[in-house]
Amino acid sequence: MLSNLSFSVPQGGFRWLLGPSGAGKSSLLNLLHVESLPARGTLEILDQHITGNSPRATLMRLRQRIGMVHQNYRLMPALSVADNVALPLRLQHRPESEIEDEVYAILKWVGLGERLNVPAANLSGGEQQRTAIARAIVHRPGLILADEPTNALEEPQAHKLLDLFDELSTMGTTVIVATHNEALIRRLPRPSLYLERGHLMREGE
Amino acid sequence: MTLPFSGRKDGLSLSEALPDRSLFILVAMMSFLAALTLTGATGARTLSARWAGGAAQLLTIQVSEPDQPAPQQVGAPTTTQQAPQTRAQAVLAYLANLPEGTHTHQMSKEELAHLLTPWLGESNKTALPLPAVIEVRLPEGAEVPPTLEQTLNTRIPGTVVEHNAEWSSRLRALAASLLACAALALATVGGIATMITALATRTGLATRRDIIEILHGLGASDSYIAGRFAGRTGILALGGGLVGTILAIAPLVLLFRMAAPFAVSSLQSTAATMPDWRTLPSMLPTDLLISLIALPFAAAFIGWATTQTMVRLWLRRLP
Repeated sequence: MLSNLSFSVPQGGFRWLLGPSGAGKSSLLNLLHVESLPARGTLEILDQHITGNSPRATLMRLRQRIGMVHQNYRLMPALSVADNVALPLRLQHRPESEIEDEVYAILKWVGLGERLNVPAANLSGGEQQRTAIARAIVHRPGLILADEPTNALEEPQAHKLLDLFDELSTMGTTVIVATHNEALIRRLPRPSLYLERGHLMREGE
Repeated sequence: MTLPFSGRKDGLSLSEALPDRSLFILVAMMSFLAALTLTGATGARTLSARWAGGAAQLLTIQVSEPDQPAPQQVGAPTTTQQAPQTRAQAVLAYLANLPEGTHTHQMSKEELAHLLTPWLGESNKTALPLPAVIEVRLPEGAEVPPTLEQTLNTRIPGTVVEHNAEWSSRLRALAASLLACAALALATVGGIATMITALATRTGLATRRDIIEILHGLGASDSYIAGRFAGRTGILALGGGLVGTILAIAPLVLLFRMAAPFAVSSLQSTAATMPDWRTLPSMLPTDLLISLIALPFAAAFIGWATTQTMVRLWLRRLP
């Protein structure tokens, strides 16, 4: 249960979300992804004011502007890698030709250019994580939320992903990454939000 | 560069999630029943309209010994030049006083013989004394004078007035009860179709819960997900409705043949053979034809609307 949380991240800001297991990191990410709504208080995400009574259509439109990397990836097992990554673009009714270009570029970048046609169910853990990351960023969201996005990646891939998040942040995308990986934090020193038992204990460098 | 995309694939794979074959067959059966019910209802409505509009305004008057002189009325002026009226002529003369627009027709001997052919045979010569039969058709809205039979019997004793209104009202009551039964049957069929679609949709939602949650998490709106499900069930119901309606045509032709004696005026026409398939549309009442054409679309609408409602209600449970 989260309570007494108050913080703001400017547009283009990068925040590590830290804390022990069960501190509420995933709950906070779900709240920011508007999968749960605040019982009290308000959220303002990408200039959208959210309360417990916000209309569902508003929440759905907001979700389309957020890229979320879940800890368990949440891929469609029967769909190919390409179809999985294309989903956010299709939900935005982008033209198929544009979708093909975007999907191919992002999958090549995450190193899955040769695995386009493989059903997600047949991918390794690392490949599934890269597919989930590609799906989260393919539509150039205004906010990226990532829950342990590198736990199944090898170090070079994890560093590459971190560099991408940093670059997206520089370009104006707000990024919040929950992690336990201290090596990554040392590699990219950025402000952090430290949670413990649902409370925000520290905020800053 | 072409990616291995498969159209608008979103992972729902509704052809596998929904019990397609069962839904199709059940909707076809429901549509079959609905088509037969509509046919019965149309028949009952048509007969009711005929009885209400035509038969109720019709009187049949029988005048025995029609060629005998009519009795002289007490106090009526007599002239030597005027030939004595026959009994039939006297009745016709009195009927001329009925409301304007009343049509009277005394059946000729040939018409009478033709009418009695089933009982007396083809021969025009019969030893039986036949009465004169006068058909009286009153204009729309006009009522038969309540004292008509009494007055005619006073002037021309033995005249029989048969008013169809009594039979007509009984038959109309029968037709109305048949129509009510048909409406109830149609409502039941519609209710069952709704329940079947709702159950099929629940099955589909249960098997695709994880996929729907992922789509929802990516920002798929309720209308998108409900539209995907409703589109699928709508198409299945349309197909089932079409098949059911087409299959109902054969028994419908049989019913049409059975109802032919009520639909034609000539007794000879009742021996008509089975109608030709190609001429069937022109033989069916227009309202029945429209109802049958609309039936598959009504089935599709029931399927679509039920699924839309079910899915939207179900999605409300999701965050």
